[in-house]
Amino acid sequence: MQKYLCLQRGVPSREPGEARPSPAEMQAMYAKFNEWRQKFQANLVDLGGRLGDGRLELHSSASDGPFVEVKDLVGGYMVVSASSLAEAIAIARECPGLLSPNSGVEVIEIRSPG
Amino acid sequence: MSRSLEHDFFRHEYGRLVAMLCRRVGVRHLQAVEDAVQTALLAAVDDWPRAELPESPSAWLFRVASNRLVGELQRRQRHGELDREHWVALDGTVSPSTVHLRGDVEDDLLRMIFVCCSDALPTESQRVLALKVVCGFSVREIAERLFMTEANVYKRLGRAQARLRGEALQLDGVETEQFAARLPAVQAVAYLLFSEGYLSSHAEMPFRRELCDEAKRITGLLATHPIGATPETYALLALMHLHSARASARRSASGGLVLLEEQNRSRWNAAEIGLGLSWLARSACGDRFSRYHAEAGIAAEHCLAPSFAETRWDRIVECYELLERAAPSALHTLNRAVAVAEHLGPLEGLAVLDRLEIPPWLERSYIWHAVLAYLQGRCGRVELARQHADAALARAPSASIADALERRLAPFMTRQGDGC
Repeated sequence: MQKYLCLQRGVPSREPGEARPSPAEMQAMYAKFNEWRQKFQANLVDLGGRLGDGRLELHSSASDGPFVEVKDLVGGYMVVSASSLAEAIAIARECPGLLSPNSGVEVIEIRSPG
Repeated sequence: MSRSLEHDFFRHEYGRLVAMLCRRVGVRHLQAVEDAVQTALLAAVDDWPRAELPESPSAWLFRVASNRLVGELQRRQRHGELDREHWVALDGTVSPSTVHLRGDVEDDLLRMIFVCCSDALPTESQRVLALKVVCGFSVREIAERLFMTEANVYKRLGRAQARLRGEALQLDGVETEQFAARLPAVQAVAYLLFSEGYLSSHAEMPFRRELCDEAKRITGLLATHPIGATPETYALLALMHLHSARASARRSASGGLVLLEEQNRSRWNAAEIGLGLSWLARSACGDRFSRYHAEAGIAAEHCLAPSFAETRWDRIVECYELLERAAPSALHTLNRAVAVAEHLGPLEGLAVLDRLEIPPWLERSYIWHAVLAYLQGRCGRVELARQHADAALARAPSASIADALERRLAPFMTRQGDGC
């Protein structure tokens, strides 16, 4: 099985001012996420997490930038195993909360050595 | 395997966290507090399913929310966005180790309910604010439940928050005496939430039960806290239990409304009736007889009657008389007329209404016409009964009420195709 990196990314929304979920809706999201996790247990290599603070370190000879830092683009990550990119995408698409009017998921193959 | 959370965990946790944090940094920071709590709940949704639930989910949320709040308030202080008098001693005040004693949390939640019932706010705004900050409903959810527009809910919340900001300095020092003065307002809000859930003409909505449960939760908190534990509160809690004990029997399998005389009394919840009766017994002290006492008394008589026919209608008539005195309303008189009719006969029931000055809102309602149709019909005044029955049906606010009216008033109604 191939591993895939799933990155949750913020994307500009066509409907700005998207209402934030209510506590009851968040509880429903939590329940759905648990169901998803059960369903794809065998495929979930690393459930990952939200990304926190970080800093881009550069060699002194690097140009001045500005450089976009990944943490500003990516909200969180996880690693899934699947037999194809299409299957990995299908798993990620079903994950509640990943796809919303202002967030998307980028699924990237992790090349294994050899 | 992740442990499961109570059904309303997130919503109730929202109320608890807002109350605890407001207690510590002041109601004037309500907006910042709500933002911090929202962020903490979102973080929980993100983090918890990836691992085990934390040992104490409530403590986890409090830690995340308070860190977030302290960070935000410190930022505002650094940027000079806060007047010096609004500065908060942030270190230690919101330290997680100082909270989460159960009694403390309830104390904070109760305090927040009293804050929502500030006499500077109109009743409607008190209800909206309580549903938002105590019960954890969103603007859209409140609008749905109170049949208001979202814009109206926003407006009321905005004004309420502005009021609370102005009032904030005194509020933080609100002490027992001021709380006691607000107790009737708090009871009224709980009562309105319950009625909205229980008696609403939109009774087929699934969330009516939630409103009833929230009203019971608030009143239960009052009843077990020194500030709120008065005979009126006990009576209010009794009447809520005595009504909701019968709630499931009011619904047919298809969701229709089942009239009192049609209800299968074995479906009433005996344990909750017992609970209601014990609160009613505790309410029988002090020197004030409130409308809650009268209404709980009426509900208790219905709960205790083995059948509709064996109801002690004389006692119910008495309770309605007391209710009319405690809270005059033509609706109560109308209800008394029905009880009198069951007790002494339809003519006596109608006689009660003869003496009533009928307000226009009542004359326009289906209830008025339904009662008149029933009483006139039982007196054999077929034509009058028919007119009122038709009027009642035309005014029925929901399909399930229309169904119930048709069953009850069928003998008096104009039938389709009855013409000569």
